[in-house]
Amino acid sequence: MANVDRIKRDLLRDLVQQNVDLIHGRPSPKVRRRDGWRLAARVASLAFLSIALFGSSRLISTLGGPAPAEAVRSASAAAVVPASNPQSTAAETAVAATSPPQPIDAAVFPLAVHKVVLDPGHGGGSLGTRAPQGLIEKTLTLDIAERLRRLLERDAFEVVMTREGDQNVSLERRGALANQAGADIFVSIHLNWIESQRSRGVETYYLGPTDDPYLTRLAASENRESGYSMTDMRHLLDRIYAGVRQDKSRKLAETVQDALFQSLGQVNPGLEDRGVKAAPFIVLLTTEMPAILAEVSSLSNEEEARLLMKPLYRQYIAEALAQGVRAYARSVEGAPEGPEMPAAGEKGSDR
Amino acid sequence: MSEKKEVLNVGIDLGTSRSSISASNGQRHVVESYVGWPLDMVARKVLKKPVLVGREALENRSMLDLHRPLEEGLIKDGSEKDEAAVRELLWHLLSLVGIDREDRNGLKVRAVVGVPAEALRVNKQQVRKAMQNAADSLMIVSEPFAVAYGLEALLHTMIIDIGAGTADFCVMNGRLPTEDDQRTLPQAGDFVDEQLMRLMRDRHPQAQISIHMVRTWKEESSFIGQQRTPVTVTAPVNGKPTQIDITQEMRQACESILPPMIESMLDLLSRVQPEYQEKVRNNIVLSGGTGLIRGLGPRLEAELQAVGGGKVRVVKDPVYVGSDGGLAISLDAPDSDWEKLSA
Repeated sequence: MANVDRIKRDLLRDLVQQNVDLIHGRPSPKVRRRDGWRLAARVASLAFLSIALFGSSRLISTLGGPAPAEAVRSASAAAVVPASNPQSTAAETAVAATSPPQPIDAAVFPLAVHKVVLDPGHGGGSLGTRAPQGLIEKTLTLDIAERLRRLLERDAFEVVMTREGDQNVSLERRGALANQAGADIFVSIHLNWIESQRSRGVETYYLGPTDDPYLTRLAASENRESGYSMTDMRHLLDRIYAGVRQDKSRKLAETVQDALFQSLGQVNPGLEDRGVKAAPFIVLLTTEMPAILAEVSSLSNEEEARLLMKPLYRQYIAEALAQGVRAYARSVEGAPEGPEMPAAGEKGSDR
Repeated sequence: MSEKKEVLNVGIDLGTSRSSISASNGQRHVVESYVGWPLDMVARKVLKKPVLVGREALENRSMLDLHRPLEEGLIKDGSEKDEAAVRELLWHLLSLVGIDREDRNGLKVRAVVGVPAEALRVNKQQVRKAMQNAADSLMIVSEPFAVAYGLEALLHTMIIDIGAGTADFCVMNGRLPTEDDQRTLPQAGDFVDEQLMRLMRDRHPQAQISIHMVRTWKEESSFIGQQRTPVTVTAPVNGKPTQIDITQEMRQACESILPPMIESMLDLLSRVQPEYQEKVRNNIVLSGGTGLIRGLGPRLEAELQAVGGGKVRVVKDPVYVGSDGGLAISLDAPDSDWEKLSA
């Protein structure tokens, strides 16, 4: 009995803390710990970055002197306060403070992901796929994108939508919107129609060539309204396929696909991991940042269509996508990435 | 000197289909989670109320703008009308235990509200918003946790709480369950209703049926496995009341929730520390309205045979087990903690 009372006391203490965190809009302790690391890393890298990139020769040359040292101390303090591992942060700061001035290659500083463009597939007269229950792809993609937008904005990402209502936006315009917005990543949300109606699953695409007849048909179907000629296409493709952006896009696709399958598989047993694939989607072609197209569910499968009718399932999809975006952003903000090597046997990486 | 207010503790289970409240003054009530506003002046004159809640709303639905404001245990997204409906529902529940909306008469209300296990932060905030002015202090808890607390099943237990909107799974390890200890499936009572409706339309296309009729049939006759007596219902066919045997359809609809349930149960069990897995397998508690489907417990036990066997028991009072658990939490939390949780 005493044991039960003790357990109850402990449970109530944690429960109250969880609710106090909720009132103050703080994440749960588990998340907070992780975010603390992120914050520490971000502040440390910012401090380092500001000294290295924007520090004038005066600042760098007088780092040891009393007045500018105050600025460095405050930067160091900012870096140290939230850190869970003070030694490493202090060491990083010390390196920044004592190293002689060096020419800085901006490429060593990984660019953070701040601005995300969400592209709800189809819209207006372009309905996308349809399920017998009356579900229409364009409506569902917008709903999921709006949910995802709320989640990402809560995480302080800046979100731009290619459409916010039921309107037709050309594929070219979607890419142009993302480019004009100066987006860091582009996520296009679609629902699949798989010929074998018993199949259900998630798959994520990045830009690349394919010789798979199924993917060729799928890309042709999605590209139908682009207005590009085959010559335009070839020209654009040649320019894009060799780019570094393709590697970044593949990395983003892998991260999002992993999050989609891992999260949705828990509530949708039988979900298939249909993998990360390369295909020439126009909407990915016209963007100038890492870009993916996620087929987040299959309307052709009766069971999945029924799940998609439920707001909770659509919320799960948005949560999974948000998780993928966060993970990608973390990987970019983390240790500088070396040149990415195309995976062996990966379609599109051998050209 | 501050005046000491009288305190009323309440536990609320805000459900998709039914919502219940248990209060420290001994009152317990359950209402159907429906809220309706009269459609026009005529309806308002006939009904003589600005808003109707629960069974009364359901029975007068033809005259009402009827809302079932919760979907899968959560406030529907983005609809102001549904948010207003949740507020009306909460106030209705509170009025049933003696809390006057206009004049609290110095009464301090401390409420614990249960939401689905994986309710997202935004939904918890929505519940907080809906409860503003209704309670002085408020705690949001995961529904299966409230059930476990009420039953004092806090150690080496798995709670499977199946309502209309969601099936919530939670393993209790003597600490507050983390995300890894919990699952929420969207396949629950409403899913069975949808399946039954679809099967009825496929196999008895002439029968005129509504989702409310299907729901009532399920609540009266749901089962899994073998059924000794056939399930027959009466539905109009071309306007004529006709008896229809729906035994097969009922079984198929009820069994449609089994595959994800079994997978979630076994998956959560496999994540329990190995030395405690047997204890948890033998302490599985089934609660919630849909947990009352006949034959569900034995079927889950049969599935547990594959991993060494186990025991599944159905709670005695599934209607109030969640709100009673909430009340127990409300009563046990010390005053100093409640002070931190102003609504």
